[in-house]
Amino acid sequence: MSAIVCSHVDKAYGATSVIRDLNLAIEEHEFVVFLGPSGCGKSTLLRMLAGLEDISGGEVSIGGTVVNDLEPGDRGIAMVFQNYALYPHMTIFDNVAFGLKRQKVPAAEIKKRVDAVAKTLGLEPYLGRKPTELSGGQQQRVAIARAMIKTPKVFLFDEPLSNLDAKLRNHMRVEIARLHQSLKTTTVYVTHDQLEAMTLADRIVLLKDGVIEQIGSPAEIYRRPGNLFVAGFIGTPNMNFIEAMVGKGKDGWTLTGAGTVLSLQGGDFHLQHGDRVMLGIRPPDLKTAEAGAGNLLQGTADLIEFHGNDALVTFGSGGKEISALVPARECPALRAPVRYSFDEESIHLFDATSGASLRKQ
Amino acid sequence: MKPYPMRPGRLIAKAILALAGFLAVFPLVWTALNALKNNVDIITRVPKAIFTPTLANISYILGRDSVLTGLYNSVVACGSAVLIGVVLGLPAAYAVARYPNRFAGDIQFFVLSLRFLPPVAVAIPLMVIWLQVGLYDTLPALIVTYSLLTISVIMWLAIPAFQGVPKEIEEAAFVDGYGAYSVFWRIALPVAARSLIGAIAFSFVLVWNEFLIALMLSSSNAKTLPIVASELSQQGMNVPWGILNASVVLLSLPPLLFLGVLSGFLNSVFRQKKN
Repeated sequence: MSAIVCSHVDKAYGATSVIRDLNLAIEEHEFVVFLGPSGCGKSTLLRMLAGLEDISGGEVSIGGTVVNDLEPGDRGIAMVFQNYALYPHMTIFDNVAFGLKRQKVPAAEIKKRVDAVAKTLGLEPYLGRKPTELSGGQQQRVAIARAMIKTPKVFLFDEPLSNLDAKLRNHMRVEIARLHQSLKTTTVYVTHDQLEAMTLADRIVLLKDGVIEQIGSPAEIYRRPGNLFVAGFIGTPNMNFIEAMVGKGKDGWTLTGAGTVLSLQGGDFHLQHGDRVMLGIRPPDLKTAEAGAGNLLQGTADLIEFHGNDALVTFGSGGKEISALVPARECPALRAPVRYSFDEESIHLFDATSGASLRKQ
Repeated sequence: MKPYPMRPGRLIAKAILALAGFLAVFPLVWTALNALKNNVDIITRVPKAIFTPTLANISYILGRDSVLTGLYNSVVACGSAVLIGVVLGLPAAYAVARYPNRFAGDIQFFVLSLRFLPPVAVAIPLMVIWLQVGLYDTLPALIVTYSLLTISVIMWLAIPAFQGVPKEIEEAAFVDGYGAYSVFWRIALPVAARSLIGAIAFSFVLVWNEFLIALMLSSSNAKTLPIVASELSQQGMNVPWGILNASVVLLSLPPLLFLGVLSGFLNSVFRQKKN
C-alpha cells in the first residue's frame, strides 16, 4: 500500500499562506506530476510529503499511515533533489549505501544491493569515485540510485532534470519513465516544464498560488482545460485568446470580437446572449482557410517563426495578435495576407470574468 | 602544454613575485640563522651569511626552567582552550547556522563584539575576578579566559562555513533516515571540514601569540611562552640577540607544527582519487 492522501492541507509561513486547503489522492503505482509556475507551492507541497517542511494544517497520509509527525526517514519515501545533493565527501558507493547503513543492513547485502542498482543505472565504473568527478547526468543517476536502493513506498522528484542540458534532459526523462514502468513505485514529480509533465505523468496536478487548478491526465488537461489559467499554461505555442461577445445567431450563436464575427452551433457550451467570453484556440488548430470556408480569422503575417516541419505565423486581427502553427509548406511570405479557419470541436470557451470553462460536462 | 614564451611583462611579474617572496621569507630565515650564531657573529658591522654554527643559544633556551615552564603553560593553555573552543563553538555555530531562532542574529553580534573590545577592557575585570576567586596566576584561569577567545573566533568563522554546506545535502541525509545529530557528525562536519580547520588553526595562532591577557593574568606560575620570551630581552643593556632569536624560533615552531598536522589531515581526507 503506497497511496498518498492529502486532506485539507495548509501551509503558511507566518501570515503568508503558501498552500490553502489542498485535497489530493494519489493512487498506488501512479506517476503524478505537480506542475505550475514558480512560486505556486509545488515544491513546498512535495517537501511536505517528504517531511522536510512542517504541515501547518490538515493531514497527509502515505500508505494509510498519517505521516504528519513522522520524520522523513520514517515515511517510507526516497527523494531526488534538483541539485543532486550527493554527499561530497563520500564515494559513489557510500553515497548509495548511506541509507542502508542507517537501517543496519548487513555489509554483504549492502554490497549486493548497491551492485545491483549500479548495474541497472550503469554506474558500476564509478562506484569508487567521488561525486565531483562525475558529470551532471551521472550525478543525477547516482541520486536516483540512492533513492531506488531503499525500495521506498514513494519516490519524490524535485525538478530533477532542470540542472541538465537539453539533450541529457530528454535522455534522463526517458530513463525515469522506463524506471517507473519496471518498478511501478508510486511517484510524485515536481517540474515547471510542461513537456516533462506531459510525457511522464499518469496525472498532472496543475497548481497556481497554492491552489489546485486542475487534476487530470495529460490529454484531459490539454484537450479540456478547466479554466483560462490552465488553458494558457499548457501547450506550446500558447493558446490564442480572443475576447468576444456572445449573440444569438440564426441557427446557433455568434461570437463578436477581434474584428470579426464567428458563428457556432455552441451545443457543447453553456452560452447566453450578451455574455462576455474568452475564445481559446490553439495555434495548431488554425488551418489555412479554403475558399468559401466560414469562421475566418484574417490579417497580415507580421512574424514568421520557422520550426522545421511547421512554421508559427503571427498576424494581427482586430488589434489582437493571433498565432497559427501551419505546415511549413503552407507558410506565407512575411507581410502577405493570411486567412485561417478552425473547426468548432477544437475551440475552448471561458467566462471572461471568472475564467471558468463554459464547456458542458 | 607548451611553456609560455618569457615576455617582458611576465618576467617583471615573476621578479615582483620573487621579491615579495624574499621579503616574506628572509626575516624568518635570518632569525633562524641568528639563532645558530654566536653573539659576535650577529653584531658584526657586515652581516655574516657564513659562520660557525653553534647550538649554544638553543641549548641555553631549552635549559632554562622558565622557558620550559612557559612552553608547557602555553601548550596546555592554548591546547585546552582550542579544544574547548572546538567542543563548544562548533555545535553552537552549527545551531546558529541551521536552526536560527530570533536570537541568532544577536548571538552572532555578541560573539563578534567580544572581539571588538580592546583586550585590556576584558583583561582587567577578568584579573579582578580571578583574584577574588583565588585562581589568579593559574592555568585554569588562563584556559577559561582563552576559551572565551577561541569559542568566539571559532563560532564567528564556523557559522558561514556551516551555512556554506548545501542544505539539500543535509536534507538528503534526513530522508536517508538520519537524525539531526548524525547529520551534524556525518554530513555537516566533514563537508565543512576545510573551512572549520582553518577556523581552528586561526584560533590556535591567536591565543598562542596572545600577550596582553597572559601578562595580566599571570605573575609567575602561569606565564606563557610569549611572556617568558619578552623577559629575555629585559636583561639590561647587553641584549642576548642569539638567545632572543632562538626563543623566537621556539615560539614559532608549535603553530607551524599545528598547521602542518592539520593540513596533512586535510590532505588525507580530501585527496582526490586520480583516474
